[in-house]
Amino acid sequence: MKKTGVLIATCLIAASAVFWGCRKPTDNTQTNPTDGFDKSAMLTNYADNVIAIRYLNMREKVAALKSASDSYAATPSSATQSALLSAYKDAYLQYEIIAPFQFGPAETALLDVYLNYSGGLDYSFTTAGELTGFSVDTATIESNISSGSYNLTTVSRSNLYAQGFGAIGYLAFSSDAISRMTGNTARAKYLGDLVSRMKDLVDGVINNWTAYRTTFVGNTQTNVGSPIGNIVNQLAYQLDMVKGPRIGWPFGKQSNGTVFATKCEGYYAGISKELAEMSIAALKDSYTGGGGLGIDDYLVSLKQDALNTDVLAQFDMTIAKVKAIPGSLSAAFTANPTEVDAAYKEIQKLLTLLKTDVASATAVQITFTDNDGD
Amino acid sequence: MTVTKNNGPGRAGGFAAIFSGGPVSIAPLVTFRIVFGLLMFFSIARFWLRGWITSVYVDPPFHFTYMGFDWVHPMGSFGMHALFALLGLSALFVTFGFLYRLSITFFFLAFTYVELLDVTTYLNHYYFISLVSFIMIWLPANAAYSSDVRLRPSITRSLVPAWTINLLRFQMACVYFFAGVAKLNPDWMLHAIPMRIWLPAKTHLPIVGPMMYETWVAYLFSWFGAFYDLFIAFFLIYPRTRKFAYLFVIIFHTATAIFFPMIGVFPYVMMTCSLIFFSASFHEKLLSYLPGYSPVASPAPYTYLHPTALRYAVYIFIAIQLLLPFRYVLYPGKLFWHEQGFRFSWRVMLMEKSGSTYFTIRDTASGKSYEVNNREFLTPIQEKMMSTQPDLILRYAHYLAARYRERGVENPGVYGEVYVALNGQRSQLFIDTTVNLAAQPLGWNHYSWVLPYKEQ
Repeated sequence: MKKTGVLIATCLIAASAVFWGCRKPTDNTQTNPTDGFDKSAMLTNYADNVIAIRYLNMREKVAALKSASDSYAATPSSATQSALLSAYKDAYLQYEIIAPFQFGPAETALLDVYLNYSGGLDYSFTTAGELTGFSVDTATIESNISSGSYNLTTVSRSNLYAQGFGAIGYLAFSSDAISRMTGNTARAKYLGDLVSRMKDLVDGVINNWTAYRTTFVGNTQTNVGSPIGNIVNQLAYQLDMVKGPRIGWPFGKQSNGTVFATKCEGYYAGISKELAEMSIAALKDSYTGGGGLGIDDYLVSLKQDALNTDVLAQFDMTIAKVKAIPGSLSAAFTANPTEVDAAYKEIQKLLTLLKTDVASATAVQITFTDNDGD
Repeated sequence: MTVTKNNGPGRAGGFAAIFSGGPVSIAPLVTFRIVFGLLMFFSIARFWLRGWITSVYVDPPFHFTYMGFDWVHPMGSFGMHALFALLGLSALFVTFGFLYRLSITFFFLAFTYVELLDVTTYLNHYYFISLVSFIMIWLPANAAYSSDVRLRPSITRSLVPAWTINLLRFQMACVYFFAGVAKLNPDWMLHAIPMRIWLPAKTHLPIVGPMMYETWVAYLFSWFGAFYDLFIAFFLIYPRTRKFAYLFVIIFHTATAIFFPMIGVFPYVMMTCSLIFFSASFHEKLLSYLPGYSPVASPAPYTYLHPTALRYAVYIFIAIQLLLPFRYVLYPGKLFWHEQGFRFSWRVMLMEKSGSTYFTIRDTASGKSYEVNNREFLTPIQEKMMSTQPDLILRYAHYLAARYRERGVENPGVYGEVYVALNGQRSQLFIDTTVNLAAQPLGWNHYSWVLPYKEQ
């Protein structure tokens, strides 16, 4: 037994010797050890200075949307309609800002599903007839209004496409919206119900965050479903949404250039470009932790400064290219395909950086299944 | 610790040593049968309870098959669940030694069938389980303390040929040793990569957490891991170091289970299977704690009908096991980048690799183009695995060509824009974007459409 101990000790010493011997030269070529990074502080920043503030703003915008839509429903006119458009745009843009935080209470409440249903990412976007992307199910909306019986909480494609921002846009801004709303109490009630439902959901998420905050701040893991895992995976997921349903698919990327102009996000309000732009800006906001401790700082602490610089530059480049698209997206798809294509290329570059380089550098896990570490 | 005379593998050089010595006690084989069966039962149950049968083998519309096994397909929800139920049952039968030959043969065939269904589920320990269950078909592990001997006492044996135990030890040693050899590369040894990428993600762990940002810890993990893998089998074989070595086995694999929970049951497989290195007397003592165990002395050792043929078969098996991990030398380029000869070589937790893939279908006749939405065809895990492995990219491209032909694209050319990041380096273009993948054949040859790795 004595000999055994000696043997093992010798081996360990030998290993350490080689290890220390090799360490010196490598330190010259490799970066120094990191000084550590306070993940809890980062998550606290996300919870208190980013997510909480953005949700409270959302609550305000939805309240403003409610009063504007009530006035519009009571007295439909171009004046009340344009006031509603302004409130609607504010609320929708604010929604894009909270979209990257689709986890925890928002995920439980299915906030994105009820407020801004996108149809998901796992289907073929090639036919006009089907309800895909940011379609609005006008038939279901009309039948809900005429029957007066509907349950907005039901999770079915047609029901989801008959509520949220898309449906509100149809009731408020479609070509003959004012005349159809005039004197139609059932229509007014449906619009009111949609906005109230939105308000309830947002309030619910805000209330549940109070309890969830402790869990969120205290969990510094990076596996699937962990706060850091969620933040990083949402960057890729939301940008996939921009590349697919928001821009690429209605632009005809899956369909040899066949454009689906009406399937743009915020189609009836004509604000699809602003929404796409805000959606990317919101991801940058999430990435940087709103200026406080964020994923950008974490990357820097991991000695990935160059990657961080490139990601920030690519965010700016992508936002600039989307901004450069003239007019609304639904019009630009046919009128200015070159500009749309240029923006699309930058979106793909940014997506690659976030999905591959950032996810890899932060060792964030993307699936639950066992793996060998490749 | 006392060592029974003929139990340790011969110290004579060469792999003929596996056959050296006379018959030995069956006890290690009996323990192995019991623990392996139990482990498999829990592993199967875990897979089922996590809903993976459905998400991995039922839901996906497409599966990445192995070359030569394109005919292997899943059997639908009922069929797959029934098969897993039978797998679990046969694992328990193996433990109890009930209808042993039938049970272990079924287990081997069914388990291997499941593994052949989809390359993206490949794990080294699944391959190990297939190999071990194959070996066990040929071992008389039910000749003592089993339901089979209770039903037919005449088949009881207390002695078995030494190679039956030595072959299992050899298989264990292969896993460790080759895993160690694989770690002897500049990234692992000189740069502590991928440990330096993975460990900072583990700072949530109690006590050691804050140390995970330290570079020296990553070096310690890398070097200790390599040293452990290279030598642990030898320390387990050598009787004087065995107990200490097994303590290291427990510590090492408990650590890997805590640090890398996503490797699943691998640590438990290695911890239990390493028991095979212990002596017969150790196993007899271990078994004596079990109800109804009494060592039966039946003087006639277990004999095989065709010992010579079997001997050559074992040599062939060993030769394959020793050569397969080195087949990568037949291919040009960086192994981690091209992954030609990567699987079935005990390369475990060796690199950090991820990719993004964008495929476009172009009709060579009409010039029409359609961008592919991977989410429509693949599960997240399939997409992740496909994104970094050339043969899977090619298989997927062929599948896409077939699907788009069904959709009316007459001559679908499949073009991929793929970016891969390896071991913390920035992502770079992985394959030639101008090559029509639909026209590239699958095969064992080097895929020239994979771009060479650019050192950064």
